[in-house]
Amino acid sequence: MNYILEARDLRKEYPNKLALQGLNLQIEPGEVFCLLGQNGAGKSTTINLFLGFIAPTSGAAFVNGMEVAANPLKIKEHLAYIPENVMLYPHLTGLENLALFSSLAGFKYKEAELLDYLHHAGLPAEAVRRRVGTYSKGMRQKVGIAIAVAKHAKVLLLDEPTSGLDPKASNEFSQLLTQLSAEGTAVLMATHDIFRAKEVGTRVGIMREGELVDVRPTAALNAQELEQLYLTYMHN
Amino acid sequence: MRIFWLLFSYEWRHFRAAKGLVLLCALLLLTGLYGIYYGTTEMERQRQHLTTLPELSRRNVEELKVKFPGPADAGDIGYYHTTYAVHHPDAWAALSLGQRDINPYYVKLRLLGLQNQLYATDNTNPMKVLSGNFDLAFVLVYLFPLLIIALSFNLLSSEREEGILTLLLAQPVSPGVVVGAKLAFRLAVVLGLAWLLSVVGMLWAQVPLDGRVLTWLGLSTLYCLFWFGVALVITALQRTSAFNAVALLGVWLLLVVLVPSLLNLGVAAAHPVPQGIELTIKQREEIHAGWDRPKTQTMNRFFALYPQWRDTATIRERFVWRWYYAFQHLGDLAVAKQAAAYANGLQQRYDLVEKLNLLSPAINAQSSLNALAGTDLPTHLKFQRSATAYHDALRAFYYPFLFRKVEFTHADYAREPTHTFTSQPELSTALRGLGKLLLSVGVVFAAGLLLLRARPINPR
Repeated sequence: MNYILEARDLRKEYPNKLALQGLNLQIEPGEVFCLLGQNGAGKSTTINLFLGFIAPTSGAAFVNGMEVAANPLKIKEHLAYIPENVMLYPHLTGLENLALFSSLAGFKYKEAELLDYLHHAGLPAEAVRRRVGTYSKGMRQKVGIAIAVAKHAKVLLLDEPTSGLDPKASNEFSQLLTQLSAEGTAVLMATHDIFRAKEVGTRVGIMREGELVDVRPTAALNAQELEQLYLTYMHN
Repeated sequence: MRIFWLLFSYEWRHFRAAKGLVLLCALLLLTGLYGIYYGTTEMERQRQHLTTLPELSRRNVEELKVKFPGPADAGDIGYYHTTYAVHHPDAWAALSLGQRDINPYYVKLRLLGLQNQLYATDNTNPMKVLSGNFDLAFVLVYLFPLLIIALSFNLLSSEREEGILTLLLAQPVSPGVVVGAKLAFRLAVVLGLAWLLSVVGMLWAQVPLDGRVLTWLGLSTLYCLFWFGVALVITALQRTSAFNAVALLGVWLLLVVLVPSLLNLGVAAAHPVPQGIELTIKQREEIHAGWDRPKTQTMNRFFALYPQWRDTATIRERFVWRWYYAFQHLGDLAVAKQAAAYANGLQQRYDLVEKLNLLSPAINAQSSLNALAGTDLPTHLKFQRSATAYHDALRAFYYPFLFRKVEFTHADYAREPTHTFTSQPELSTALRGLGKLLLSVGVVFAAGLLLLRARPINPR
């Protein structure tokens, strides 16, 4: 089986903390895998290891069959990333930021295409030519979504991506993820939002103290069961 | 390369948006222009002053011709006649004044003892000397590093602190290319300014277009590169902008202020030189004692040096010029050791600084620019030796008149030796400085790259 994302005994240890202990994870194309867990459970560490932002203490992360540590640039051609708090160049407009990050990813879009991406991400038309310094967090998040979508990556790594989005925008984002998933994009999303995980996820994984303690297909659980399962792990 | 140029072009947009930095660059440009104005004005003032000296000499001769209308005793002429040893600046001196403000650029000479004349200078405002020269070399050596620090202290840290770096490095972009593009843009801004000011300075000062143009540009380029290398090392530590700013300013303070001061103290302790005042006092005492000493004793000491005049008539008069000039001459000889020790001591200090200036590229750059402009200490010492030789020539011209009792006629004024000395660049020193700067640049860039390799850039 060709996994688009794979972690093999992935371990990250800091001098005073074990951030991730022996993570084994396989994600297929088109799958939306939601990582649930409290702060410090290891969700962001997992995403950072797949991005190559930090080096594993042992084990290996693979993107599209390539080991992250050995191919730090190549794997990023296949990854798009939306952090919890998208930060952009404040003196550039939303349009200019999208143009810059798309160009860095190797895509040269016409202005109409860039406007289209921003429109589909939900950024109001009046904001696209305003400096990002004047944007709200939600508006920046939408530009971040446009940057990720415009990259046409095989994998989306999302770290609390709906943080700062209003319910309508969150809902639109969920629809977008469903659409991208249907097109074969794999998604690894770290979130606290159990209901969003149930809504868009194909599988959920619960992390606690750096360990992936449970993995379930979302189809096998309703939202309340998932919440109960999550709370059980958290209280134990 | 596509990514590099893309990031480079966006750096221009980021730079334009940072109004403070644009203003700082404009301010430095104006400061540099003022430095060029200051240097060229100062050199013009010195040149103007030097052009008046032959006229002063000519008037002095006219006055003497009136005072002594017929053939005169050469002793009178030697006593009253003033001539000058002049140190003409090279055109490059306007860009790097070096020691031309503290050392005399002409020496007023009579046939009297040389040493007290050699060190007699015009009074200078000590506060002005303390603050140093505000020439182009000063702007390049002392102020440009501050611009480099202002442009580079947050090379990556600002984007990390603003959270942009995570999104940037999530793209297929090498962190090395990001750092390289940022450094290259800043380097282009700084070198653009440095080269623009240098070219304006060269045109303004009307320097000859020879190999020194490239040497000057090479020195300023390598010096700026050194500071960018320091910025790279600090950036590679991946600390906060505040830490970087303090660290870079600390390095500036260390290399531009502390090391030169400590080096100055160390070199002064390693090579003590006799105080000039001691030399002057001893010479004066020797000369004044000459009045009371038996004339035969004075003349015998003098004849030991100049046996060719031994057969001249024994002095029986109360005063004769040849005796007067003999004890003036002996006054110089009495302090010859101190004078040589003083000049040697200065040269040794300079040589030691030359050996140790690898510790501070600021000193190295400054001394190299001074050497290139012919405004350094060795050039001044050469001028002093040239003035000494000129005084010897004056003595050689007047002594036959004095000892053979030949009268000095108006026609003899024209036969009197004259002096001129023009600074020559110390090219070997400048090229050595270039090599040392290259080494310094290599060291800091190697350290920065090794650090970056050892600690991959963390976007958070």
